[in-house]
Amino acid sequence: MTAILTMGRIFRGRWLATAGLCWLILIALAAIFAPLVAPYDPLEIDPLVRLSPPSLEHLFGTDHYGRDSFSRSLYGARMAIVIGIGSVVVALVAGGLAGMVSAYFSRLGHVIMRVVDVLMAFPALLLALVLMTLLERSVVNTVIVIGIVYATTTARILFGMTLKLKGEVFVDAATCSGAGHASILFRHILPNLVSPLLVQASFIFAFAQLQAAALDFLGLGLPPEVPSWGNMLSESRIYVTRASWLLLFPGALIILSVFSMNLVGDALRDSIDPRFRNDIKGV
Amino acid sequence: MLGYALRRLLTLVPTLLAASLLVFLFVHLIPGDPAAVLLGDSATPEEIASLTRELGLDQPLYTQYLLWLGNVLQGDFGTSIFFRVPVTSVIADGAETSILLALMTMVWIVILGVPIGVVAASYRGTWVDQVTSGGAMLFASVPTFWLGLYLILIFSVTLGWLPSSGFPSVTDDGGLANLRYLLLPSFTLAAPNAALIIRLVRASMLDVQREDHVRTARAKGLAPWKVSVKHVFRNALIAVAAAFGFTFAALVSEAVVTETVFSLPGIGRLVVQSILRRDYPVIQGVILVIVVLYMVINLLVDLAYARLDPRVSLK
Repeated sequence: MTAILTMGRIFRGRWLATAGLCWLILIALAAIFAPLVAPYDPLEIDPLVRLSPPSLEHLFGTDHYGRDSFSRSLYGARMAIVIGIGSVVVALVAGGLAGMVSAYFSRLGHVIMRVVDVLMAFPALLLALVLMTLLERSVVNTVIVIGIVYATTTARILFGMTLKLKGEVFVDAATCSGAGHASILFRHILPNLVSPLLVQASFIFAFAQLQAAALDFLGLGLPPEVPSWGNMLSESRIYVTRASWLLLFPGALIILSVFSMNLVGDALRDSIDPRFRNDIKGV
Repeated sequence: MLGYALRRLLTLVPTLLAASLLVFLFVHLIPGDPAAVLLGDSATPEEIASLTRELGLDQPLYTQYLLWLGNVLQGDFGTSIFFRVPVTSVIADGAETSILLALMTMVWIVILGVPIGVVAASYRGTWVDQVTSGGAMLFASVPTFWLGLYLILIFSVTLGWLPSSGFPSVTDDGGLANLRYLLLPSFTLAAPNAALIIRLVRASMLDVQREDHVRTARAKGLAPWKVSVKHVFRNALIAVAAAFGFTFAALVSEAVVTETVFSLPGIGRLVVQSILRRDYPVIQGVILVIVVLYMVINLLVDLAYARLDPRVSLK
């Protein structure tokens, strides 16, 4: 109940962010119920209807193998959710732990943060590209690579915040009452970091979609047989002049999902950081 | 200020060394034997073994690293396995395209990002602000290759106004007019970055507007446009100037996708192609060059920032 009230407070008056949230819920439902909703098998090849434009039979048209784009898009939603959530988990767990531990144990932290510095010397896409070439193309590896890329920024942010919290009186109080390091870190400091982590998570979710699509496009992301929005775009590239719908629908799905997540992230951030409150009403 | 600059420069050295080691290790962990890839399917084991020796790939890893690093410090990045020419000249070939692309992208970012951001801040809370801020966020959500493909579809295929791929050097026939080959790619690359700058300019303007010196300026009866230009805009630009620098530093690697979409002979596409060709020396060289460039530009931005806002170097 309190969760619903909080949601109501965050999204009140923000019709665009609310629409974004609804869209994301829709995508999640599509991902869960893809096998039930999809009119065709996403991998089923039907040469007779190859490259046919959108119609009642094939809502989003068909691709160069005659596969139904609508069904593939529904299964693509699965990949989008898996990539998004997976990257967020990897980035927050790895980056969050690195940042918190570094700030708390300053000697060890010195070493860890230098490693983070070196990783951050690589531009994000380049790091993802190089890591991807070391690994086989698979869903898990894509998630890990994108997660690592965003773990570095997460570590930086949490390092700063933990450092600040470490000096607070409630930490001293916990130490005096005999709390151990683990207890202070995870029971006293971590709860104070939940809101910024949530905001960070929403933006990582959004950017991970774009990074994954870019990797797919370069042929270094998900395996080509996996129906993801990025792969669909990548495959349709040479047919765009004859079949522009192959570019339109998966692209629109990516854009709408990333846009929605950014809107939700903004709404979350504004509700946490009072400086932003009432900044853009409606947006 | 000088002390700050020197300190920052000194911290760059160990990071660079670590980055070079990482680049070297990354490349050597890539699965696939470059000698076998180079010689093709018909190669005999003897041929592969002899090429491996010739390329120095049979030495222990640390020897290979030290040799490579020593050569790199003398400006020798080795020889491309694929092109059979020095890596430095392969990179130099791509440099013109990449530098011009980055510069044109920055022009787009400045002419789109700054005015729209200022307008959004001036009309804060109105529909103008909602449309521009929302539009900026929408553009930041577009995959660059998708935008590029659509621009090709509209401006090259349908309208036939602009070329869709390639880039002949400005020293070739056509001269500076060849820059039209970069119009679509630079806009593609600029769009998401300009969107971020719009949001930043707007936020920065709003931040400064709340400060005391602005209130004082208004209170003493200064014309509103003068307050906006002299007191708000100039101070807001400090934060934005740093963002320009960081954006510029990231452009070379972000261009990987754009250069691939438009088949431009730049450094970004060189990264992807040399990865696919398993061309070790080129991968190492080009990634190291990008990383060094990225770090140096970021350092320069930091120093410029410290110059603009003296409080930074005192921390």
